[in-house]
Amino acid sequence: MAAPLELSCWGGGWGLPSVHSESLVVMAYAKFSGAPLKINVIDHTWRGSRGDVPVLTTEDSVVSQPAKILNFLRKQKYNADCELSAKQGADTLAYIALLEEKLLPAVLHTFWVENDNYFTVTKPWFASRIPFPLSLILPGRMSRGALNRILLTRGEPPLYHIREVEAQIYRDAKECLNLLSHRLGTSQFFFGDTPSTLDAYVFGFLAPLYKVRFPKVHLQEHLKQLSNLCRLCDDILNSYFRHGPAGTSPAGQEMIDANLRKLTQLVNKESNLIEKMDDNLRQSPQLLPRKLPTLKLTPAEEESNSLQRLSP
Amino acid sequence: MRKLRTRGKVTQPGQSPVHAPPRRFVPLLGGVATEPWPENATLYQQLRGEQILLSDNAASLAVQAFLQMCNLPIKVVCMANAEYMSPSGKVPFIHVGNQVVSELGPIVQFVKAKGHSLSDGLDEVQKAEMKAYMELVNNMLLTAELYLQWCDEATAGEITHARYGSPYPWPLNHILAYQKQWEVKRKMKAIGWGTKTLDQVLEDVDQCCQALSQRLGTQPYFFNKQPTELDALVFGHLYTILTTQLTSDELSEKVKNYSNLLAFCRRIEQHYFEDRGKGRLS
Repeated sequence: MAAPLELSCWGGGWGLPSVHSESLVVMAYAKFSGAPLKINVIDHTWRGSRGDVPVLTTEDSVVSQPAKILNFLRKQKYNADCELSAKQGADTLAYIALLEEKLLPAVLHTFWVENDNYFTVTKPWFASRIPFPLSLILPGRMSRGALNRILLTRGEPPLYHIREVEAQIYRDAKECLNLLSHRLGTSQFFFGDTPSTLDAYVFGFLAPLYKVRFPKVHLQEHLKQLSNLCRLCDDILNSYFRHGPAGTSPAGQEMIDANLRKLTQLVNKESNLIEKMDDNLRQSPQLLPRKLPTLKLTPAEEESNSLQRLSP
Repeated sequence: MRKLRTRGKVTQPGQSPVHAPPRRFVPLLGGVATEPWPENATLYQQLRGEQILLSDNAASLAVQAFLQMCNLPIKVVCMANAEYMSPSGKVPFIHVGNQVVSELGPIVQFVKAKGHSLSDGLDEVQKAEMKAYMELVNNMLLTAELYLQWCDEATAGEITHARYGSPYPWPLNHILAYQKQWEVKRKMKAIGWGTKTLDQVLEDVDQCCQALSQRLGTQPYFFNKQPTELDALVFGHLYTILTTQLTSDELSEKVKNYSNLLAFCRRIEQHYFEDRGKGRLS
């Protein structure tokens, strides 16, 4: 825990600390669990070429996929799930699987495969942040990787063609969003009032879809109709990412507030106890406390009495 | 036997099969709901004794369990080229009336269109949970089974290649087995499992079983009194893992750690397979 934790990830835009889903998941989890991460934006460097972004670097190890990074942080005692029951932990795993199977193909398609979106938004954004020769190669490679992933997991062999799966993956994604919305209901986060791993994953997948301006937007429109999911993203953005990815003050402020709250509760409890003890003492049948009030009154009376005694 | 109206030819054992492309699955509309479930509905899978693999057997058993739970009669037919007859390339598939439907998800929807459903009594949040847990099983258990069969060199060499190519003459058996292995390895790489070691995969299986065990708790089924398609799917995978002999017992050991899952499998086996007289699970 003393070792500095450095996270390399893609930079931000459209009000988000990062445009890349997996990087967002790790950043959100770090904020929720209070892990002190130093964000190392890899824009304008050659780091993106290795393809395994986000990467967590510590003094003695390098951890690369979001699930592994979260496990590593948990082992370092930065755990955002400590208040969850066993069943809620199991539900988290299940919902993350649902996100990866049903929502991720459509998100990848919207960003990387849909021609209008890719050529007008995604490619220029990434190309402007990658140094020259690589900017001609890397966005294309990422796009092909996304297409590959969609076809291999959802395509039907041997006629691997994107047209046949497009309708199916968008239908699945809309269903997945509806299911998430039903599960969230009206509560602030998925498991009560404190955010957990599932909130980090949902935020990571949904926030880019919600915020980035696309020409072809039918999935985004569907998401905007589910107001509780949009509210969740906005809440997390406003509370945890107010000062941008570099500052830790919102999270720090939250922790200070939480500590203050705990301290005030303790002090209140103590003072309640003291009051109760005082009440008990007063109500108990003892002569001594009763004398005290009379003693207090008597000095004035005594003086007047003594004066009276003296006077005649 | 009735000829199927698909492009893949139905072959008798002993003939070399035609490596034909499968027909595209056209979504069902309209007249499906009006026809009742026929008596001669059939489920096709690969040959039970020599050919079928762990993951395919799990999928087939899940569909059989689901249909038993819905009280719909189904006859199981084993064909060597079932994979090629299937409209999506995956087994099992069912042939009902004049429709062919493959894989558990579409079969559940098809059966629902016919008016039978196991999950009608669930509210929206429970349905969301059920779908999430089904994806968990597909994401972790099924992928782990595929990994173990095709990407683990020991198992692939000793068991999978031999079984997958067994109905075909040399050199077709080797060619088809290597082609399938290449496809599976490509998929594993695309979803990020290409760099995982066997121990990490077994750890994932353990995590998945732990989640299922915690969700099941002490209830008889996942959504208390009535079984749903989630129960059928979990039963299919766990029963197959427990009863299939591989090069090592590590996979079944991971499942055996959870006694409520074992009791769950036993309960479904007794209630839906032995009692109905349908007997014979592989």
